Amino acid sequence: MKKATAYYLMLLLLVAGLRLPAAAQSKGQDVLIRNATVMTAVKGTMEGTDILIQNGKITKIGKGIAAPAGVKTIDATGKYVTPGIIDCHSHTMLDAINEGSLSVTSMTGTRDVLNNTDITIYRALAGGVTAANILHGSANSIGGKNTTVKFKWGHPIEDYPIADAPPGVKFALGENPKRSNSQPQPGVQPRYPQTRMGVIETDRDALIRARDYKQQWDDYRAGKTKVPPRKDLELDPLVEVIEGKRLVHAHGYRSDEHLNLMLLADEFNFKVATLQHGLEAYKIAPEIAKHGTGVSIFTDSWSYKLEAYDAIPYDAYILWKNGVVVSINSDSDERMRRLNLDAAKVEKYGGVPEQDALQMITLNPAKQLGIDKRTGSIEVGKDGDVVIWSGHPFSPYSRVETTIIEGETFFDRQLDAQHRIDMAKEREALEKLDVNRAPGSGGGPPRIPAEKRQSERDRSEFGEDDEDGGGNNR
Amino acid sequence: MSSKLKVQSSKLVGSLAAFAAFALSIFAQNDGSQQNKTGRAGTFAIVNARIVTVSGATIENGTVVISGGKITAVGPNSSIPSGAERIDGRGLTVFPGMIDAGTNLGLAEIPLGVDGSVDVAETGNMNANAKAFKGINPHSSHVNVTRVNGITTVLSYPNGGLIAGQGAVINLNGSTQAEMAIIPEFGLVINYPRLAGFGRGGGGGRFGPQLDFNQLVQRRDAQIEELKKIFHDADMYAKSKEAYAKDKTLPYPATDIRLEAMTPYIRGEKPILFRAERANDIKSVAKFVTDMKVKGIIIGGQEAWKVADDLKKADIPVVFTNIYQSVVRDDDPYDYFYSAPGKMQEAGIKFCISTGDPGQEVRDLPYQAGIAGAFGLSKEDALKSVTLYPAQILGLGDKLGSIDVGKVANIVVADGDMLDPRTNVKYVFINGKMLPLTSRHTELFDSFKDRKAP
Amino acid sequence: MRSKLLLLSVAAVCLFTAATSRAQTYAITNAKIVTVSGATIDRGTVVIRNGLIQSVGANAAIPSDAQAFDVNGSTVYPGFIDALTNLGIAAAATQQQGGRPNGGGGGGQQQAQQAAPASNSNYPAALRPETLVDDEIRAGDPSYDASRNAGITTVLTVSRSGIFNGQSAVIDLAGDSVSEMILRSPFGEHVTYTTAGFGTYPGSLMGTFSALRQMFYDAQRLQTWQKMYASDPKGIKRPEADKSLEALFPLLNRQMPIVFNANTEREIVRSLDFIKEFNLLGVIAGGQEAWKQSDRLKAMNVPVILSLNFPKRTAANAPDADPDPLELLRFRAETPKGAGRLAAAGVKFAFTSGGAAPADFFANAGKAVDGGLSRDAAIRAMTLGSAELLGIADRTGSIEPGKIANLVVIKGDVFGRDKFASHVFVDGKYFEQKEPTSNRGARGPGGGVNPGGGGGGPQLTGSYNITVEIPGQPTTGTLTLQQDGTNVTGSLNLGGSVSPVKGQATAGGFNLTSSVTFQGTSLNITLNGSLNGNNIVGNIDSPAGAVSFSGTKNP
Repeated sequence: MKKATAYYLMLLLLVAGLRLPAAAQSKGQDVLIRNATVMTAVKGTMEGTDILIQNGKITKIGKGIAAPAGVKTIDATGKYVTPGIIDCHSHTMLDAINEGSLSVTSMTGTRDVLNNTDITIYRALAGGVTAANILHGSANSIGGKNTTVKFKWGHPIEDYPIADAPPGVKFALGENPKRSNSQPQPGVQPRYPQTRMGVIETDRDALIRARDYKQQWDDYRAGKTKVPPRKDLELDPLVEVIEGKRLVHAHGYRSDEHLNLMLLADEFNFKVATLQHGLEAYKIAPEIAKHGTGVSIFTDSWSYKLEAYDAIPYDAYILWKNGVVVSINSDSDERMRRLNLDAAKVEKYGGVPEQDALQMITLNPAKQLGIDKRTGSIEVGKDGDVVIWSGHPFSPYSRVETTIIEGETFFDRQLDAQHRIDMAKEREALEKLDVNRAPGSGGGPPRIPAEKRQSERDRSEFGEDDEDGGGNNR
Repeated sequence: MSSKLKVQSSKLVGSLAAFAAFALSIFAQNDGSQQNKTGRAGTFAIVNARIVTVSGATIENGTVVISGGKITAVGPNSSIPSGAERIDGRGLTVFPGMIDAGTNLGLAEIPLGVDGSVDVAETGNMNANAKAFKGINPHSSHVNVTRVNGITTVLSYPNGGLIAGQGAVINLNGSTQAEMAIIPEFGLVINYPRLAGFGRGGGGGRFGPQLDFNQLVQRRDAQIEELKKIFHDADMYAKSKEAYAKDKTLPYPATDIRLEAMTPYIRGEKPILFRAERANDIKSVAKFVTDMKVKGIIIGGQEAWKVADDLKKADIPVVFTNIYQSVVRDDDPYDYFYSAPGKMQEAGIKFCISTGDPGQEVRDLPYQAGIAGAFGLSKEDALKSVTLYPAQILGLGDKLGSIDVGKVANIVVADGDMLDPRTNVKYVFINGKMLPLTSRHTELFDSFKDRKAP
Repeated sequence: MRSKLLLLSVAAVCLFTAATSRAQTYAITNAKIVTVSGATIDRGTVVIRNGLIQSVGANAAIPSDAQAFDVNGSTVYPGFIDALTNLGIAAAATQQQGGRPNGGGGGGQQQAQQAAPASNSNYPAALRPETLVDDEIRAGDPSYDASRNAGITTVLTVSRSGIFNGQSAVIDLAGDSVSEMILRSPFGEHVTYTTAGFGTYPGSLMGTFSALRQMFYDAQRLQTWQKMYASDPKGIKRPEADKSLEALFPLLNRQMPIVFNANTEREIVRSLDFIKEFNLLGVIAGGQEAWKQSDRLKAMNVPVILSLNFPKRTAANAPDADPDPLELLRFRAETPKGAGRLAAAGVKFAFTSGGAAPADFFANAGKAVDGGLSRDAAIRAMTLGSAELLGIADRTGSIEPGKIANLVVIKGDVFGRDKFASHVFVDGKYFEQKEPTSNRGARGPGGGVNPGGGGGGPQLTGSYNITVEIPGQPTTGTLTLQQDGTNVTGSLNLGGSVSPVKGQATAGGFNLTSSVTFQGTSLNITLNGSLNGNNIVGNIDSPAGAVSFSGTKNP
């Protein structure tokens, strides 16, 4: 048993001496950020300003705030503070992205498959992202329900969804739902729809079915029928859509399609919450403004597929000029880490003012997701979701120093440096354990060196199907 | 961008040529769109500008003179030739045009779903004779979109198979491939054999068999052997052709255009562009280059900083592509790639920064360099890594990449730090021609920016 | 003599077993008796009569008609229970035949998902909770032997295919017919987080959750509707008879547990969420990271069928390979400690081999003890604790008069690699085990036996017909070996796929490595085995787990 005892001791040492990275984050406590250049996103930029966060909320903003007892103080002299970045279109932290089997999959939802161990969460925090709209993919005309989360890395899954965020559902138009870029399966009948004509009819049909379904329930509740109707998980969310209780996030590129969807929504008397991507939205900016729909775009992705060929970086500017609420999203685990630089570009392309540009990655996505009452700007009473930057957030030379959600630090560059040392030590200790050493003989495959992290967007760019058979989702 | 100005300026150019260089200069950037999308040649003097020469000290207030396609004067007090069009550089900064040494620009207009627009990868394993120069579409919308953001020169290369073909160094201006080309046949692209493919690990592609580690090692090693054999065959081929040239009594050796294309590369006369990312693969490239006595350049180079000694010993520079890419391994730090250029600089590796992009987003080159500037590379080196360093790696250090007298006038004038996404490019010159700042983007913008609901 | 078929199959594939059942009455004497339910008796007797334990005690009388075994200080345990297996299921997944065994070869899960079964269920093959494992298992299946020979008398078994794996059964590993083997059926409804396959709903994990949820809602409604109709059919549309939905009624009514195969923490959390959503009786199976959710498991009173198939490093890393991620290194280090942590938190659990070879089942229970679990608790988790979880504790799991005579005599430390189950009783039927000798002689101090030379080591050269005991899918193949000194080369033909093997001859056996393709997946494996006469036996270790194999040399 000597060997076993030694092994056990080693494990004990490990547990005692080293903490897991998740546990290494400081827990929520009251924080006073001192002497920063604060970009509030609503009331301009304030020099030499302090922000006090207590019990997760911003309680004071001003100069020379006295530190209450026990509060942690961060000296941000020479640094910038912005609201936490909110990504209005992400598929990160998901174990499945598309339920691609059917054309309407509103019964599914990303909440069921959130993965809080996905390292991309931490990397997003290192890019200043505090909240995101975790969407179903775009493989079908109507996809699954979304989850609006805060990136509380190291917390249990149930801490991620923002409890009071209004629910939403994914719609998709164009090449993806009609499977333009998917490999046909030999011997399998292509899925309906195959055209844009069919896509919009699929939406119409689903909404009509939802209306009829609601009628069944109304009749039952009115005592007209005896047997309770089937609880239909596909149609329940669509009833909520018609009732205006569930936000529609509609993936699409071509302006005509987005316009047609808005017209369809008008028929059913609801508003589309966001046009996702909307890379041609500038062509119909006045109509979008009139419908009261938000648009969530890329600043400078274009020409990667035909329906993105008319994308222009001035999209944000034209929409903004028309009074549309615009956000800039990533749809990518990679791009999510640098949304600040994407926002900077709208100053260049057209000349959106700085604060309005900042709003496109903070307050506007919060509005589009219905969480602007609690986050998206630096105001007293809002959640303490802030990012401390080494310099101006729109400068490429700036780094995120600290990312704070509700007063709790989830990323800190200095802690990160320490964490790397801890990880190296932990690895060294773990590799010495018998269980991690190869036996004299043995099978198991060595790990094939990965060169590319396959995000959903990567797959879609290269036209590969993802493991759900969903294919191109972007 | 205003049509009123365009008309006005065109009139000015037509009728008042001798007059008022100052007035001309105000409208100068708009000329091209009216007259000629491939720009307007002339003698230009950018005055009162901040000049970031890159090669030497920055001149806070000076003049750059462009004439005959070249930079003819640079300095605080340069004399301005008579007849030169003056460009008021107050508040502006002059930079050398940026160079992206790792793109497929012009070879893939719409990569997904529009196969007809894609000419990146030839079929087959050995295509040494395939030339990007013959595939690049001079009228790709990516050309203008890229150059109006200050990128004036790119290497565009094919990337299919083991030996993919030859990359071309082109200026982003010209109606024909020949007009664009700086070095039509610059380098031979080899997808250096590796364990994982460029797509999913395990390699066989979507329909191919999934291979295990040992099979991948075998396949990789077999491919390296195949590569050596091709080099050997090419060597024998060149020798037999040479021998025949000297001695016509020998039997005439049949011509093989694929092997023929290898000759300058196996002899080390031109560089071979090895696409490799991982430390082990790059180490293997260094050994290959030394063993085969060829000239090598790494394209990719994710982990080049880890094998600095090998690279320096074999005199291999690195075109580091796509600093934006997601970090591959969970345990690697979040800034693994952001900090790589800084580490290469520190290790003394010759390198430059490239987007590695097919074309659409080559225009983001300055911002990719900017991020390196936030993670360990100095701002000056960040700028060099997209100007002088790529020029040197492309063998054009004496012609491009800095503002020096005698160099080709590939010049960008901007209203701020060129690596900052908020900065606006105000003038672009390629080969001394002033280019219109128009592109597919500005054209669509102009068409729709003032649209009202009916 | 009752079990001719069984005997034949046992003889064919097992070395050490000669099942005999001459007498109905046995006495195990001079034994240390671990009763589990009560105090351990240091030296005593257990009497077995008519399939039941008649008496237990330090001074229990030995009946005159009993066949007595003086076990000379070895230990008697209750028959060990493997709380989740796929034993007894024919190689081809039976859902292809609409729930009837077909006994054919090949196949497997993927095929089962694609084939359209002959069934009048309204649901795709992957979503048929009505499937009964009783209909799939067969008596005398060779997959039972390795477990029983190691002292495992009782298992929970269930099909592996589908999202709903169907309803499981507790069986004893002996009996002439399935009816005779069954201790309890059905036990529970098992769920695996998989999909219905490409292009079929649900085709993703997301869809799997929504499809499950919809079925439970539909079952709720159907139950209500049927009740309404039963009480007064007039004026009500007749509810459909839907056997798939009806199979969910006992789950909704908390009469049957739902067993989620869930190893990662998030799978466990998702399972617990689902259990809570429909107020079900839940069980977590696998549970490699269950310790991370021990508080919630305790609070929700959800027990764990905990896998002893611990993750391990199986190969040295190659210079070209990526290092193992830290998370994996941690996972390997932490998993053996899970049982101790669950015990400390008061979560109920029972051990399953998780598909590992029986030798690993016992050795890894020992690792769980090294990892902080008490020895008694470990034994309990393989005996009475399992019996309680499986609802058979009134009949099995401990050595008490009146309980079923499932007993095993262990020589040596039960958790040691050298332990030997000398006597196994299943339902009072005696399976004699011959102690392996081939390895022992060679193991002297400095025992320099040269297997290749004339020193008495086996001559391995030859071809062997072998059966690999892949759980639920025993697979036959041919192993061809060529010995040159201590070097051994050859090939392994498994399921039609031929792979080269190479390695070393050892004292009494061999140690080989290979890379095989099995069901489209390439696995690096090791084969360790011994040769005794013409019989070959050993283990195959792979990243997917360890399995045993056995066979005979072709003349």
